[in-house]
Amino acid sequence: MLAYIIRRVAQSVLVLLVTGFVAFSMFSFVGDPIDNMLGQERTQADVERLRTQLGLDQPFPVQYYKFLEQAVQGNFGLSYRQGRPVSEILVERLPATLELAAVSGLLALAGGIGFGIFTAIRRRGPSASTIMTLSLIGVSLPTFLIGILLIYLFSVELGWLPSFGRGQVVDLGWWSTGFLTESGLKALILPAITLGLYQMTLIMRLVRTEMLEVLRMDYIRFARARGIREKSINFRHALKNTLVPVITITGLQLGSIIAFAIITETVFQWPGVGLLFINAIQFVDIPVMAAYLMMISVMFVGINLIVDMLYFAIDPRLRVDRTAGGH
Amino acid sequence: MRTSLVIATLGVLAAPASAETFRWAGQTDPNTMDPHAGNSAPVLGFLNNVYEGLVRRDRNMAIEPALATEWEPLEDGAGWRFHLREGVTFHDGADFTADDVIFSYERASSAEADTASWFAGVTEVTAPDEYTVEIRTDAPNPIFPDSIANWMMMDRGWAEANNATRPNIEQGSYATLNTNGTGAYRITEREPALRTVLAPFEEWWGDDRGNVTEGIFTPIENSATGVAALLSGEVDMIEPVPVQDAERIDNAEGVDLQRGVEARVMMYGFSQDKDSLVGGDGVEGNPFQDPLVRQAVAHAINVDAIRQTIMRGSAEPTAQLVSAAMRGYSEGLSERPAYDPERARELLAEAGYEDGFSFLLKCPNDRYINDESVCQATVSMLAQVGLDAQLDAIPVRNYWPELRADEYDMYFLGWSPGTFDAEHPFRFLVHTPQENIGTWNFGGYSNPRVDELIPAIQSEIDESARQEMLDEIAGIVQDEMVYVPLYVQPLLWGTAENIELTQREDNFFILRWVTVN
Repeated sequence: MLAYIIRRVAQSVLVLLVTGFVAFSMFSFVGDPIDNMLGQERTQADVERLRTQLGLDQPFPVQYYKFLEQAVQGNFGLSYRQGRPVSEILVERLPATLELAAVSGLLALAGGIGFGIFTAIRRRGPSASTIMTLSLIGVSLPTFLIGILLIYLFSVELGWLPSFGRGQVVDLGWWSTGFLTESGLKALILPAITLGLYQMTLIMRLVRTEMLEVLRMDYIRFARARGIREKSINFRHALKNTLVPVITITGLQLGSIIAFAIITETVFQWPGVGLLFINAIQFVDIPVMAAYLMMISVMFVGINLIVDMLYFAIDPRLRVDRTAGGH
Repeated sequence: MRTSLVIATLGVLAAPASAETFRWAGQTDPNTMDPHAGNSAPVLGFLNNVYEGLVRRDRNMAIEPALATEWEPLEDGAGWRFHLREGVTFHDGADFTADDVIFSYERASSAEADTASWFAGVTEVTAPDEYTVEIRTDAPNPIFPDSIANWMMMDRGWAEANNATRPNIEQGSYATLNTNGTGAYRITEREPALRTVLAPFEEWWGDDRGNVTEGIFTPIENSATGVAALLSGEVDMIEPVPVQDAERIDNAEGVDLQRGVEARVMMYGFSQDKDSLVGGDGVEGNPFQDPLVRQAVAHAINVDAIRQTIMRGSAEPTAQLVSAAMRGYSEGLSERPAYDPERARELLAEAGYEDGFSFLLKCPNDRYINDESVCQATVSMLAQVGLDAQLDAIPVRNYWPELRADEYDMYFLGWSPGTFDAEHPFRFLVHTPQENIGTWNFGGYSNPRVDELIPAIQSEIDESARQEMLDEIAGIVQDEMVYVPLYVQPLLWGTAENIELTQREDNFFILRWVTVN
């Protein structure tokens, strides 16, 4: 067990290193931050001076090495745009993204399972087919378009919900939350729907398929033959067996919800890390881009690591097969 | 008794009966609050509400007294004397004196500052007394007062106490997030890239101020979200309004479209000092070295069509590198080369390129209003006279590095003259490229006569002699078609209908000119 974990952790570190290397090799293509940092009346000497100061005159492997050297000490450098420590900015922005992701995730899970069961049970009903058709739209429309449509409907036309921002937030010292105020909660609704819609349709389709599969099983038929109430069959016997793959998928999707929040955050001017990243690209704010990409890859690698270890704990075959030459 | 009465009356005028909150959104958040660390329109425009210079620009861009009440050229040598306004205090209560001017000079002209170029000719700044400052220059500089409207005054004591005596562009300093100006508004909350809140400075010396008691600025990058925020009444003003949404806002209930003209002139530049084209096909050498070819390009582009279809009617065609509102504009040279494809073909034939040639046209796609569409339209217009432009439209963050690396044959450029004077583009775009001058002359155009005239213009005190020289350069630039000027970029702001404000040509948003009705 320990050897397995150590091996997986070592692999994860390797993945992180490679991700960082690729990221740094790309940064020179993103553009030149100097043009954004100096005004139009700068001289060539100013440009050279700043370039040297930022270490941008070095080849990218050297830049990457310096970044790593600092990063392992917990120092991600200073943002070119804001002139503040990147770690400070990330900590400031992370609550917004995590709250949005959590609400979207819950929404996707609740909505997905609910609609999934409904469409599986009422397979031929008109409302089920309506939901299925709508879900197709949810899958195929790009996120930013859904966001803009929701804004025009609920903010411009109806005037019920705010079109941008996070509303009033309460600062708890280490965490700023929008959960405690009315405007904060209102501001969450549209972005959470926009971000969660795709995941919701995904989960819904998954639940529906699994459910239909399970409902065809013998033990359901026998349960029916025994005269068990339909409600009990659907929710106690069928649903439970449907949920295993759903939970796996949801866990893996949590990472992508956070990562894909970029687009939703841009549309709603949501002050999270995704918006920060988009701003950083526009400004060629290399320290922020590097730290964000590292953070996201750590997250994905971490989630995968946990999932792997869970499999290891659940699935005895992984343990037995060791001597037979791996998997 | 009388003074106290006056003060009481002023107090009543300055403090409106009700609280008026004004919320506005722009696309770019100023990246610093340090007026000497950023020489860009978003930074200087925003900080004009908080900090002040010795002089400032009025609604029509003319220079008027601010922290200096009057100024005159020095009698004994080149330079200017400024008489400072007395009784002015900074937001923290400190008095504004000549020493702060000297400090602000040292700070803004230091190697660490982004504004040092404003003081290129300044040799010494002295204070004969507490409210007089003498600025000596190495040569007479008639437009010096015009060129320092954005040179903002910072308190020496405050900067020293907070360890911010020099700006720090790379690492930031206390002044990057905090402000202490003399302006009509002070910043009460600053969350970079999220929200900035301003409140009136009650002890402000001036009286030209609207009724806004709280100003909240939020950057909204996505223009569609910005328009939605305006339409739903969550913000009272957005800038800019995307050109394609202008008509909708114009027609919508409850909101108004404010149209203006920006100082930015859009133009095409050419590679002129290279011996061959980067994207050249079927041609020897560099045809753009020939003024006839550049004139042909000018005649081939239908600026009016671009204005009508791409800019939806809101752009002002121009024949010079500055708009007609700028100081030093050459009145006699306002005729744009007519749209005349026939003439363009003739010129190309005369230059020996009757079969045309292909070349690389470089454009940004996120820098100027509809930049990529304008370039696409240009490609098809040039095709009609036999020129095959290969368009490469890229994000602005890659654009300048590519231009510096000479990866273009023709390119798109917008220029907003920082001094609002015709000399500015000549200095940066037309003078032979050198260390400190001609720094944006990517194409490498070089003309000894122009190089000789520019320093002479910079030190000419006599207005008419100065104008004569400006006219001469403008004439050369036009005859040789060094650049093909197209149009002045429009200024489109959207406001709620109860808002009154002033749009200034430099696209600076001045909060004290806002009245909420």
